[in-house]
Amino acid sequence: MTKAAIHIAAATDQHAASEVPFYQPHGDEVELFEHAYNKQLPLLIKGPTGCGKTRFVMHMAARLKRPLYTVSCHDDLTATDLVGRHLVNDSGTYWNDGPLTRAVRNGGICYLDEIVEARKDTAVVLHPLTDDRRILPLERTGETLQAPVQFMLVVSYNPGYQSFLKGMKPSTRQRFVSLRFNFLDAAQEQQVVIAETGIDLVTAKQLVKLASALRALKQHDLEEVASTRLVVYAAALIKNGFAPIEACRAALVEALTDDEEVTAALMEVVYACFGE
Amino acid sequence: MPEIFVGKLWDQLVSGATASNSEDTTVLFEEIVKPASILFRALGGDQGLALKTAQSTIHQGKQNWLQQLSGIEQKVELAWCDDEALYLPASINLLPQDRLNRELYFWLAALAVEMRPGLWFIENQQATLRLLEKFPGLQARYQRLVYALLSLRPEITTLSYDSAIQEQAIYQALIKPGSISLLPSAPNPWFPIYLWFHPTPPFGGNNQLIPPKKLAEFEPSDDTQSTAKDQRRHKAERQEIQERKDGFMMFFRAESILTWAEYIKVNRPTEDDENTDAKRAADEMETITVTRDGKQTASRIRFDLDLPPEDSDETKLESGILLPEWHYKKQLYLKDYCCLQPVVATNTKTCQLPVHLAAVARRIRHQFESLTSVRTWLRKQTEGTEVDVDAYINHLVEVKSGTFKTDLQLYKTHQIQERNLSCLLLADLSQSTDAYVNNHARVIDVIRDSLFLFSEALSATADQFGLYGFSSLRRDNVRFYTIKAFAEKYNDQIRGRINAIKPGYYTRMGAAIRQAGKLLAQQTTHQRILLLLTDGKPNDLDRYEGRYGIEDTRQALREIRQQGIKPFCITIDEKAGSYLPYLFGTGGYVVIRQPSELPRQLLSLYAQLTV
Repeated sequence: MTKAAIHIAAATDQHAASEVPFYQPHGDEVELFEHAYNKQLPLLIKGPTGCGKTRFVMHMAARLKRPLYTVSCHDDLTATDLVGRHLVNDSGTYWNDGPLTRAVRNGGICYLDEIVEARKDTAVVLHPLTDDRRILPLERTGETLQAPVQFMLVVSYNPGYQSFLKGMKPSTRQRFVSLRFNFLDAAQEQQVVIAETGIDLVTAKQLVKLASALRALKQHDLEEVASTRLVVYAAALIKNGFAPIEACRAALVEALTDDEEVTAALMEVVYACFGE
Repeated sequence: MPEIFVGKLWDQLVSGATASNSEDTTVLFEEIVKPASILFRALGGDQGLALKTAQSTIHQGKQNWLQQLSGIEQKVELAWCDDEALYLPASINLLPQDRLNRELYFWLAALAVEMRPGLWFIENQQATLRLLEKFPGLQARYQRLVYALLSLRPEITTLSYDSAIQEQAIYQALIKPGSISLLPSAPNPWFPIYLWFHPTPPFGGNNQLIPPKKLAEFEPSDDTQSTAKDQRRHKAERQEIQERKDGFMMFFRAESILTWAEYIKVNRPTEDDENTDAKRAADEMETITVTRDGKQTASRIRFDLDLPPEDSDETKLESGILLPEWHYKKQLYLKDYCCLQPVVATNTKTCQLPVHLAAVARRIRHQFESLTSVRTWLRKQTEGTEVDVDAYINHLVEVKSGTFKTDLQLYKTHQIQERNLSCLLLADLSQSTDAYVNNHARVIDVIRDSLFLFSEALSATADQFGLYGFSSLRRDNVRFYTIKAFAEKYNDQIRGRINAIKPGYYTRMGAAIRQAGKLLAQQTTHQRILLLLTDGKPNDLDRYEGRYGIEDTRQALREIRQQGIKPFCITIDEKAGSYLPYLFGTGGYVVIRQPSELPRQLLSLYAQLTV
C-alpha cells in the first residue's frame, strides 16, 4: 500500500498554467502534436535522456490549455496504479481514481514517462484507450469510461536506456503516432541554455560545443551522453558565479562517468573548449 | 684489459650524452592511449580508427657532434594517420615536464582530427589553424608546447645559410600557423617537428608487390608474451627471394650474407630462445624484409606489417553455405563471398564431465535452478501465503453493494515466471587460443571448461541453448563447428564434442556471426541472445584484418540486431577496449582480465544478462 501511495503522489496533476513553459522546437513536432490531439491519436515520443521530452509535453499541455497528468513509470508500476483502487478510511472503503482515470474523466493529457519500465499488464489498460474505441473499462467499479475528445495519451521512452533485454513490445508500439527526439542543433541549444539560465552567448556557445563533442562519444565510450538538461545545469552554475571548468566537471563530466580514466579524458575535452 | 674498460667507458660517455632526456618525464603511449582516443573521438575523429604506436623512423636531420660521433642515426617517432589507425609515438620524453609530454600526446590526438590530405608543410599549419579555431581552449596549450619545443630546435646562428632560412620559416610556421606557404629548401633536412604529423609516413613507400597469400604463410602466432610495444607497425618491405635459375650463383654470392639489420627471414621456424633477439632486432631495424618462400612458420615475433592487402579475387564459391561480406570502403555487400562449412564432429568419444569441474558444476547447477524461478506475486488467488489487501477491500465493497461473488479470491501467492529465452554460445576457436594463460592451461582449455560449465548450468534451466565454434582459413573455408545444436540434448556425446575442441586457424568473425544469427532466427523463443566468446579481434589471411574485419563484423552484428537478436561479447583480449565498443556498444561486452576466471565469470554474466 505504501508503494501504491507513492505512485499516486508521484503522479502529479498540473493544471493548465497561465504561463506556457519555454520550449524550443526541433522541427514540426508542435504541429504534429496539435494534429494528433485534434484527431484523438495517441503519441509516442522516443529520445535520449534530457533532450526535452517532458518539457515538450508540459509546453503542449499549457498551450492546449489541458491539465497534465504525468506518471513516471518504474518496474513495480501496475495497471491498478494507473487506473485506481479502493482505499479504506473511517467510514469504510472508497474508490480512488488513478492518474489515467483522472485524465480520462477530466479530459486531460496523460503522460506516461519511460513506459517500458512499467509492468507488462499496464499494456492491457492502455490498449482499449489507444484504438478507435477510446474506452477505459474500470473492472472494480463496473464502469466503462468513454474518453472525451480532450483526452490524449502520450507515452515516452528512451531507446538507448533499456537494460539488455528490455524493449517495447511491437504490438504496443504500433498503436501510437511516433515522434523521435534528438538533441537540438547548436544554435537552438544555445537559445535553450540562454533562455533557461540567462547566461551570455559566448559561454552558451562553449557549453554547447562541449556537449556536442561529448555526444560524439556515445556508445563507444559513454553509455549516456550529455543531455541538454546537464548543459543547462552547468550554465546555471556558471551564471551563479562558479568557475566554468569546475562547473563542467560537476555538471557534465562527473555526471557521465565513474571511471577515473574516462573522467580525465573528458576533462581534456573541457579544456579544449574552455582553456585551462 | 684496459682497452675494453676504456671502450666501455667511451660507449657510456657517448651514448649517455646522446640519450637526450632524463627518464622521469617520460610519458608512455599505454598511459595515455585511452584518454587520448576519447579526446580524439570527442573532437570529431573517426570512431573506427584505432590508436597504435608509431614505429620510429630514421630522421636524417641535424645531429649534434656527439650523436654523429657515436654513429647513432637519429630515430624519431612522429605521429601519422591512415584509414586504419592513428599512430602516436610509443613514448615521449622530449620536454622537461611530464605534464608537457602528456600535453604533446593530446595535442597530436587532437590535431589528427583536423588533418586532411594535402601538402605536408601547408596542411600541418592549416590543421593547426582549424583546430585552434574550433577549440580555442587549446590556444594556451599550443603556445606552451610551441615555446617548449622551439627551445629544443637548433640555434639559427649555428646553421648554414640555407638551413637558417629554412629553420626561420619553420619557426614562423609554428608561431603563426598559416603564415608560411613555402618551405625553403636546404641541402640538409630539417630538425624534426614534433608538433606536426610525419612528413613521409612509413606506409606506402615500397610497392614491390607480392600476393599476400604467400605472405600470409607467415602466420604471426598470437603469443601472450607479446606486449603493447609490438603494436607498433613495422615498416615492412616485401622482398621476394629471387628464384634464380642459375641457383649456384645465388648460393655463394658473398653479398647475400646480410646483417640482421638488413635482412631477417621472419617466416622461418625459430626456436623459443631466439625470440628476444629477433624481437630486439626487429625493433632496431628500419625495415623488415618479409620473404616469400612459403614455408610454415613458428615465428614468435608479432607485429603488424604495413603491407597493403591484396586486391582479392572475386571468383564465386560453390559448395558450403554462401554468405555475403561487407566491404566498408565500397559500402556494399560482396555477395556469396564467404563459404561456410558446417562441421559436426561425429566420431568423437563420449565422455563424462571432467573430474576437476564436478564440484563446481554441482554448485552451479544448484544456483541456476533458482535462476529459473523469477518470483513475482500472483494476486487474487483462492489460496495463498498472504492476504491480498486490495482484493479484500474490493470484497468489502462488493459485500456492501450486495454484489459479492461466492468464490472468494482474497489471497496472493508467489508465482514462478517462465523464462522464454534461447542463447547461442559462439566460441572463437582460432589459432591464438593455443596460447598459454598460465602455467597449467591454454586459452582453449579455459574455453573448454567454460563450455562445460555453461552447458551444465543451462541444462538445469529451461533456457534453450546451442554451442558452436568457428575458425577460418580465408573466405572460402570458414569452419563452423556444431558442438551442440539447439534441438540436441546435453549428454555424454555432447560432452565428448566439447572435449574434442581444438585450436583452428583464424577469426573471420562476420561470417560466423551471420550463420549464428540464422540459427537463432529459427528459434521461436521470446528472447534470443548471441554470446560471443573470443580472445582477439577479427582477422584472417586475406584482407580480413584491421578496419576491414572490424567493419564487416560490425555490419554482421547490425544485421542480427535487426532480427531482434541481442549480441553480447565476452573477451579475454585486454586490448579489446579499443575496438569492442565500436562493435558491441559500451554495455555490450565485457573484458575478463584473468582468463582462468572465464568459466565462472561467463555464468555470472549470463545470470545478470538474462534476469
